[in-house]
Amino acid sequence: MELRRWKAVALLTLGAALLVSGDAPAKLTRDDAQKLKSPVANTKKSIARGRVIFMQNCTSCHGENGKAEGSLVADATDLTSPQLYKSGTSEGEIFHSIRDGAGDQMPAFKSQLDSETDIWNLVNFVRTLWPESARPAVQDDAK
Amino acid sequence: MTENKNPEVQKADAPKTGEPESRPSRRGLFASIGAGAAAAALVNPGKIFAATTPPIPSIRIPKEVTDTLAEATRIGDFGEKGGMTGAEVFAKSCKDEDLAALFCCPGNYQIINAISAAGIPAFGGRSEGSMTSAADGFSRCTGEVTACSGTEGPGFTNMIMNIAVAHRARTPLLVLASNVTIATDDREYFIQTGYQQPTTEGLKKYGKRLIAPDRVHEYTAYAFRNLKTGVPGPVHLDFPGEIYRARFTEASQLKEYYGKDKYRTESRPHPAPKDLAQAVDMINRAERPVIVAGHGVFFRKAWEPLMVAAEKNDIAVVTSGPMRGHFPDEHRLSASLSPDAFMSADLVVFVGQYSMPTKQEWRFNPEAKAIRVNPTGEDLGRNWPLDLGIVSDEAAFLEGLASDLPQKKRDAWVGELASARQKYEKRLLDEYEQGVKHSQATNTVHQAVVCKEVHDFLYKGSIDPKQTVTGWGGWTIGNCAARWLRAYRPGQEVNCPYQYSAVGPDLAMMIGAGAAVQLGVGPQAPYKGAPVVVLTSDAGITYSMFELDTAAKYKIPIVCVVFNNNAWGMWPSAVGTPRSMHMYLFQENLRYDKMAEGLGARGEYVRTQDEFRRALKTSYEVAAKERVSTLINVQALKEFTSGKDYPPGNIINPEPSVGALAH
Repeated sequence: MELRRWKAVALLTLGAALLVSGDAPAKLTRDDAQKLKSPVANTKKSIARGRVIFMQNCTSCHGENGKAEGSLVADATDLTSPQLYKSGTSEGEIFHSIRDGAGDQMPAFKSQLDSETDIWNLVNFVRTLWPESARPAVQDDAK
Repeated sequence: MTENKNPEVQKADAPKTGEPESRPSRRGLFASIGAGAAAAALVNPGKIFAATTPPIPSIRIPKEVTDTLAEATRIGDFGEKGGMTGAEVFAKSCKDEDLAALFCCPGNYQIINAISAAGIPAFGGRSEGSMTSAADGFSRCTGEVTACSGTEGPGFTNMIMNIAVAHRARTPLLVLASNVTIATDDREYFIQTGYQQPTTEGLKKYGKRLIAPDRVHEYTAYAFRNLKTGVPGPVHLDFPGEIYRARFTEASQLKEYYGKDKYRTESRPHPAPKDLAQAVDMINRAERPVIVAGHGVFFRKAWEPLMVAAEKNDIAVVTSGPMRGHFPDEHRLSASLSPDAFMSADLVVFVGQYSMPTKQEWRFNPEAKAIRVNPTGEDLGRNWPLDLGIVSDEAAFLEGLASDLPQKKRDAWVGELASARQKYEKRLLDEYEQGVKHSQATNTVHQAVVCKEVHDFLYKGSIDPKQTVTGWGGWTIGNCAARWLRAYRPGQEVNCPYQYSAVGPDLAMMIGAGAAVQLGVGPQAPYKGAPVVVLTSDAGITYSMFELDTAAKYKIPIVCVVFNNNAWGMWPSAVGTPRSMHMYLFQENLRYDKMAEGLGARGEYVRTQDEFRRALKTSYEVAAKERVSTLINVQALKEFTSGKDYPPGNIINPEPSVGALAH
């Protein structure tokens, strides 16, 4: 009971932090990350921006096609297979992995990327690498 | 066990701050000697050993080294008794071509002896591979043609990795090796037979096994035509005995024996007037143009017209390639520390960018227009779709731009570059502050702390910031060092892992660069005699550490910072797989400083930021004043590579920027 109340408080705090700053909390647990919702709609525009960021920051380890077929890093995740993701596949978990790093090898990109919006754009792009049946629906760009 | 009477060795034995308490000392070992011996030592401690064992002699440079370096030069002459050997003909041609230096190990004796006798600066080292990289490093900071040499068979094959490194960097490197005799070809006669030219296939611009003694000069001309025109690259000549031992008593015995003014040309392709006009128009119409100044700008010494063109029209410039400094990092138009601004560029002008990235690899807007200028046409359009391709010498093109571009101010673009730089530098400082915390928490030194200290010492203290040539390598330390080292003038920074990403040639490459600085070659002339600094890893130092002997022998002062994290930088690749981590680890707390002392260099051991700061200052001063090298062993942790416990971990740098290593 006590734990549930603590979690509720934490969620409220998390939501408040998002409302106030527009950014995700500086420190996230895996549980927090799982509940995090993207403030950036999954639109073609966002995906296009995410693709550019991916090409500039991610391909040396994950490869141009996301399959991590290169040899720079032994256990870079094949991003085209969500079942192989080691740190979760929810949008929040992917955001958390990119922003704060994951495992022993993936560095934290929060100091490298311009804004959290760009990290969310990248999340949207990464999910376009998934099999079609697993991809979230793409929304129309705002006019 | 004997007591060492040598005062230098005794001094080195004295306990130092920072030495682990568990370190086995000579005193400790003496303590374990039997009581009888100890009692006898108390009675007359000097006599016990002095009577039976002479003192261990100190490390010293043989007199023959200094004596033979002072000998008069001798270039072969057809009129001399016995005429000229093939080796002497070749050496004379190299001298006429101003070959800048030779780095070698013994073998290919006649050739290396003749080259050194002819007065070309020659350096003999400890392994052919490292000497190849030393030649590469000399060339990277001067732009000059340099040579390396090894013996046939094992000596030659020992050079292969380093030739490949030079090939990816497009270094004008003359690779020489002896290769048994033509008469014994295909017979496995005696030892060291090898088919050398197929071995360097894919690693050279041109190569030839010389098979006709009277064509030795002709093929020297082939070599220098390739080394000095177009896009440079290694040239490999292998010499059977019949070639270098042949004798010639008059020039007419040699085929095609005429000078360089007749066998090659200094003429360079100039941009067609309509191409130049179109380039000027495109640049002038662009709002945010950027010039990528690659290898070719440096090799063609085109930094002055680059500066004029950039300043005249407010064009951003980012340098790329295996050397940096042909556009100064501190200039208001330098974009080398502003990678976040690249997405705004609407026109990219590649000049002398020999190793082309694919469009996705670099941080430019995919929609940006592109112009590429290259001295030959066959590479134009590879990897990056072009709006305008121009075949031109880099200097000729930049001179054309400098002349034809109108004056223009682009305040918004310049402001964006400044703002992006500010952001980049803030990121570096944030990373450093994290590094300080990690260092203090672990009583070791984080890579960001090492790099910031080197940065502040070289560029913010009492030393002329333009003075010191630096180089970097290794994985964790290399990626970090690349972000912190600066280049304010041509040839000031050597990007050791450029393109091929070899771990290991760093120290050797920088010894070559150090030789160039000692000789004051090309852009190093104003800083003749200054020390050089290299940051490398414990994995990397393995491959060329013995060249500290070479540095000491030739008094090439180098400060070598070894980031000792007890592991290959790729250790995280073992995480999660059973029975694999052992392959990625070394013994912990190895003492590279002690090994350096054994090779005639100084050694420093540090575990804190303050210790490192002091060691760096002392080492640099000793290098500058006494031409003595130092290896600073910086104790670190392998876990600093990972962002898991020590954020941000090892970051692969954006390209193009100061930290680029791929292109």
